[in-house]
Amino acid sequence: MSAGMREFRQRAQIALEDARLQNALENATGRFWNSRREALERLPDSDGLRDHFKEMRAATLADLAPHWRTFEKMAEMHGTRIHWAQTGEEASRILLQVAGEHGAKLAVKSKSMTSEEIRLNHSLEASGIQTVETDLGEWIVQLAGEDPSHIIAPAIHKTKEQVADLFEAEAGKAVPADIPKLTEHARRRLRGRFLKAGIGISGVNIAVAESGSLVLVTNEGNGRMVTSLPPVHVAIVGIEKIAPTWADAAVWLSLLARSATGQPLSIYTNVITGPRQESDPDGPLEVHLIVLDNGRSDLLGTKYEEALQCIRCGACLNVCPVYREAGGHAYGSPYSGPIGAVISPLLFGLERNVALPQASSLCGACLDVCPARIDLPRMLIELRSDSVEKGLLPAPERIAELAAARVLEQAGLMELAGKIGRIGQRFASKNLPKLADQSFREWWRNR
Amino acid sequence: MKTRESILSRLGKAAHPVTSPESWHGRWSGEDMVTNFADTLRSAHGEVYCEASLPDAIERLGNLLPHHAVRQVVANEEPPLKDLDLPAVFPKITWHTPPTGGSLNKERPAWRQACSQADAGITGAELLLAETGTLVLTSGRGKSRLVSLLPPLHIALVSTSRLAPDIFTWADGLQSPWPANTILISGPSKTGDIEQTLSVGVHGPKKLVVILYETLR
Amino acid sequence: MNQRQPSVALFVTCLVDQVHPEVGIATVRLLERLGFKVLFPAGQTCCGQPFYNSGFPAEARRLAKKTIEDLEGFDTVVLPSGSCTAMIRAEYSHLLAEEAEWKRRGEELAGRTFELSEFLSQQGVGLRTGEVYGLVTYHDSCHMCRILKVREAPRRLLKEAGFKVVEMREPDRCCGFGGLFSQRMPEVSSAMTEEKLRQAAETGARTVTTADPGCLMQMRRIAERLPDSPEIEHLAVLLERQNR
Repeated sequence: MSAGMREFRQRAQIALEDARLQNALENATGRFWNSRREALERLPDSDGLRDHFKEMRAATLADLAPHWRTFEKMAEMHGTRIHWAQTGEEASRILLQVAGEHGAKLAVKSKSMTSEEIRLNHSLEASGIQTVETDLGEWIVQLAGEDPSHIIAPAIHKTKEQVADLFEAEAGKAVPADIPKLTEHARRRLRGRFLKAGIGISGVNIAVAESGSLVLVTNEGNGRMVTSLPPVHVAIVGIEKIAPTWADAAVWLSLLARSATGQPLSIYTNVITGPRQESDPDGPLEVHLIVLDNGRSDLLGTKYEEALQCIRCGACLNVCPVYREAGGHAYGSPYSGPIGAVISPLLFGLERNVALPQASSLCGACLDVCPARIDLPRMLIELRSDSVEKGLLPAPERIAELAAARVLEQAGLMELAGKIGRIGQRFASKNLPKLADQSFREWWRNR
Repeated sequence: MKTRESILSRLGKAAHPVTSPESWHGRWSGEDMVTNFADTLRSAHGEVYCEASLPDAIERLGNLLPHHAVRQVVANEEPPLKDLDLPAVFPKITWHTPPTGGSLNKERPAWRQACSQADAGITGAELLLAETGTLVLTSGRGKSRLVSLLPPLHIALVSTSRLAPDIFTWADGLQSPWPANTILISGPSKTGDIEQTLSVGVHGPKKLVVILYETLR
Repeated sequence: MNQRQPSVALFVTCLVDQVHPEVGIATVRLLERLGFKVLFPAGQTCCGQPFYNSGFPAEARRLAKKTIEDLEGFDTVVLPSGSCTAMIRAEYSHLLAEEAEWKRRGEELAGRTFELSEFLSQQGVGLRTGEVYGLVTYHDSCHMCRILKVREAPRRLLKEAGFKVVEMREPDRCCGFGGLFSQRMPEVSSAMTEEKLRQAAETGARTVTTADPGCLMQMRRIAERLPDSPEIEHLAVLLERQNR
């Protein structure tokens, strides 16, 4: 996972040359964006709701430890086992241990960006546990051996023909490239896995402290399958995804689906409060939760704390003019678009992701749509400034910037530089602005 | 344990204490909960019938089951279903209800089998949310989460007296004891993952039918 | 009429000064024709935005202070640039947050600084309606519409001046400029501009106009390479042309 300048530009170039992908990106993001706008317009006071949500998220993040203590107490009371993991490796190790205790050979997984972040599937497969992604888009991407290219539409970059080929290779028999038939195929194929799996793995949209509950949102129902059928359910959550009360969770939910797809709520909002109870006819025997830090707590108390308010709705991707051209893979991280450009350097290192803060025209459309009003443009600027301070910018560029600033500090110098530039520019790159024959101030003096 | 302490101590270093805002007061303010519920759920590809009484609702069910060629049913033991002798009303249909007795553990595999083979799952609902067109179901004795999940058709029979305005109303009413599972359902299972084209019924039910009926309060 | 002629100081911006002087000239002529006395504070250079945006806050701060000093003593400052206006109005106080006196001076400047169309609109000036010119589409530059929240003023002025304004599908979608972004990510930047110009062409308008010299420069540069691109003009140039 990395995005140097050249890597980003090359990967973006591949996306730019793919006319079909360009079309798919434009259509999908445009549709999500429109649906989002309509959904928010239907609310009596969506601006007020977002202001409220922002305040609520800020207050929660300012006081995370007590909320997690409450969560832990309540969750354990309901029989959920809590594990703490500082790093991705620790989280994977915990998961493998739980799977090992139950002799699980097959894991079914519902979409989890956090597990993508820590490359959980690799660890599972390396330990001989077959792991099947069950969100249709994630399954397609998994079969293709690729990374998701959109937070909520992972296979945005695949055609139905490509999907049919992937399904054929997996099933060993031809599947027609027809969307309803492909969906039906996935239903039948994955249903068997749900019923057989020894362990179900999921992400968590919201951990609710008040009752120690996990909230998991899906449209397909795979999240319910994964948390209902296997005898063991292991969920993984980042330390920022906590709501103190159900009143807070309700605000969160009322913005999540609307911001993501424009639905008032996703089809299934699944609330899990412990394993099955004695008289429940079904449900898992054990529920485990891995609470993952993985660099997040480093952001607390810094100018980047606000980034932890993100609820992974993907709205900022859909409005981002850079994402809409470059696509998700250019970012070299499971988190793409404006939020990815901010959190990938913060979580995985600025040094390895120097291109990301630069991958923005700072147009501000992301800030406009963010349900938590996260000031992404401001943080991109801060990251650019960090890049300069850490010497991650090529030296000639840095020197040129410093020199330009010196020149602009004196009108006389600027005028002189302009005159020299006019002569020099015939030798310069075509990408640079062409200076006028006569500057404005010359005109002003001569009028 | 060491990791726990170390993470919890790191969580204490956020920038500045911020006071939590007062709880959100915006509420869905529509007048006609039945209509809004039905319209919203229909626009999410759900099917909704509004009947004048419980007997009318059962009659509706009687029309729907053969229409969908339903031969095997799994049904939760919850209001209003548990007080109706539906197997007697529909003698041609094989009827299964969740195990509740002392031998629950032994019966679980068979129950799961029944749910995965059934043509339809029938439930009630704790609550209906008018704004979002949502059914709220909980797990518990006689209430299986698989009934509304595994069969291709999910039918819910619910009294209009269970309508509540919105998700905030639902959240306000939550309290201990907490069921192991609560599920908010706002349509049949769907995906847009292949070419962003809507496709209904990927993992959960392909069809969701809600039969509402009026009751005297 | 013995009324004192109202005066405005023009902050022409470095880009207009060096690359698009015709925008500054049109701004002066338009303002004068509408009865304003135009002053040009001679020491002015750059508001500091390019440095602020590319991660050089110290340099941006020096230019901000310089700009504050250059524009001291003028009642009203007008810029033919939405993004430079946004820089002064919204960012100076952040940038100078650590230095109370400078912050105060920055905020004081922000209070009397206006983007051209915003200013004209607030003054309620009556534009002369020129000959009906044909279809024009207006590009909302990012900082003008999202930070200054000015969307209506330029459209209203265009209509007043006799243009028929047609809208793009996404009038506020970024043109791809973003200052140094266009140099650092030229492929993506150009693709964004091409998308913008495609949407502009779809409207059937003969002219794309914008209130930002950065967007103007970017769109013109890319349009040169494309067949059948509409002409691209700064708002001030179009308004001045109709008010001769």
